[in-house]
Amino acid sequence: MAAPFTRVYRPLWRIITTTTLNKGVRNVSSTRQQWSAQNVKTAGVASPWALHGAVCLQRLPVVSQDRSPIEDEFMELMHQMELERSLLSDHELRLLEDAARMSRKQEEESDEEEEDYRDKDIFTAQDLEDIWEQKLKQYQPAQRSQGVDEKGVSSSERCLAESLILLVKKDVGSQKLWLLPQIQWQTGETLRQTAERALASLPGADLKATFLGNAPCGFYKYKYPKDIQKEGSVGAKVFFFKALLSGHKHLPLEKNSFAWVKKDELQDFLKPEYLKQVRRFIMAL
Amino acid sequence: MAGIVCRTASRIISSQVSCSSSVVAVRHSHWFTSMLSLKTSSPLRAEPKKKKKVDPRREIMMKERLKKKLKRLEKVAPELIPIEDFITPAKCLDETRIRDAPKHSFEESERRALLLKEWSRYKYSQHQTEMDTINEALEAQRQALDELKLESEELYKAAVSPDTDIFPFQHEGPSYTPPVTNYEAPEGKYNDITRVYTQ
Repeated sequence: MAAPFTRVYRPLWRIITTTTLNKGVRNVSSTRQQWSAQNVKTAGVASPWALHGAVCLQRLPVVSQDRSPIEDEFMELMHQMELERSLLSDHELRLLEDAARMSRKQEEESDEEEEDYRDKDIFTAQDLEDIWEQKLKQYQPAQRSQGVDEKGVSSSERCLAESLILLVKKDVGSQKLWLLPQIQWQTGETLRQTAERALASLPGADLKATFLGNAPCGFYKYKYPKDIQKEGSVGAKVFFFKALLSGHKHLPLEKNSFAWVKKDELQDFLKPEYLKQVRRFIMAL
Repeated sequence: MAGIVCRTASRIISSQVSCSSSVVAVRHSHWFTSMLSLKTSSPLRAEPKKKKKVDPRREIMMKERLKKKLKRLEKVAPELIPIEDFITPAKCLDETRIRDAPKHSFEESERRALLLKEWSRYKYSQHQTEMDTINEALEAQRQALDELKLESEELYKAAVSPDTDIFPFQHEGPSYTPPVTNYEAPEGKYNDITRVYTQ
């Protein structure tokens, strides 16, 4: 039954404010209406937690990961097994025929073979293979690893094989902390809009992102230190929203205030409690 | 009615005659058209009513015959479109294409068997870590939604409502090498030889 459940979970201050409205035993439907009515009435009473919306912006990998040793071995084995179980292709048949013809020509050295040559193509299969090799060499693909001198933590081009998260350095109280970009919630907007505003308000960044749904993926709550705690504000709750970076960003952002980090590098940047909550929803598969 | 038809016919004929030949025939009465004219008037005048009966009947009969033919054609079940993947092409049944079966040493076959077992263990552990990560993320989301519900019902409802803009969602997956900046792909022509079947 839903009604007793909601009563158990209501925080103490809400129970105190709404005891005047409680009139004893009710049936289920009326308590539900009462609950929603209470919410509307008590909207004026602000919760002690300030709401913030934050965005977990991920740049997905651009390049495939390197194979681990066992994956390499297994790939080799699979190739061999497939080759053994397959039939000869047209190209391979042609190679065999050409080889046979060459060997016969060398052995016999007769002129009869020359007549056949006029009917067949000028290129042997081996020549075709060489032509294809040369064509492939003409194309220069971009480097996979971009070199060891990774362009620093602030570039989104680093570590192309892994997904990166955007971190921002922000003043919180007296300290400068590395955080996921967050901004305070304003009345009249949903938390997702807050997260979008947090992304848009980053100075000097023109990042286009696709937000994945309306629901937050994680939260973190912290209490303000006692000297800052005013009446009615105990701390803040930050709700994280996931977004994927769409569109390639080429401009590097300011070095000291932005960072693109992998999941294992997060511990060098974030505080332990914050990190514990954030790690849960960041998937680095 | 017949007279009107006659008059229009005579007008047409006389106009034709006047433009084509130099002979000008004089008509004394509208009933007698010029001798050079075509014999369109006599059948028109002779049996006007009979045509009305026979022609509609004939047309109706023609239509019925066509409809019967169409029905017969439609009753026949349409020919099934062959699924090209299920038909083994004749090339594959060619005996000249069979490779010689390689014989492996005992060590080689042992190595293969052990590698396959190692691989299954590796894949299992990979799957377990994936499942754990996913469950962790789901748990984090569930707790976030619970906290949000405690905060405010409106925001919770907005969070739980479905997002219609996300689909269709497109993303280019990872490739082996990163994309080259300002790359112009060479233009190529190709002939599409896929077989299209119609029923």
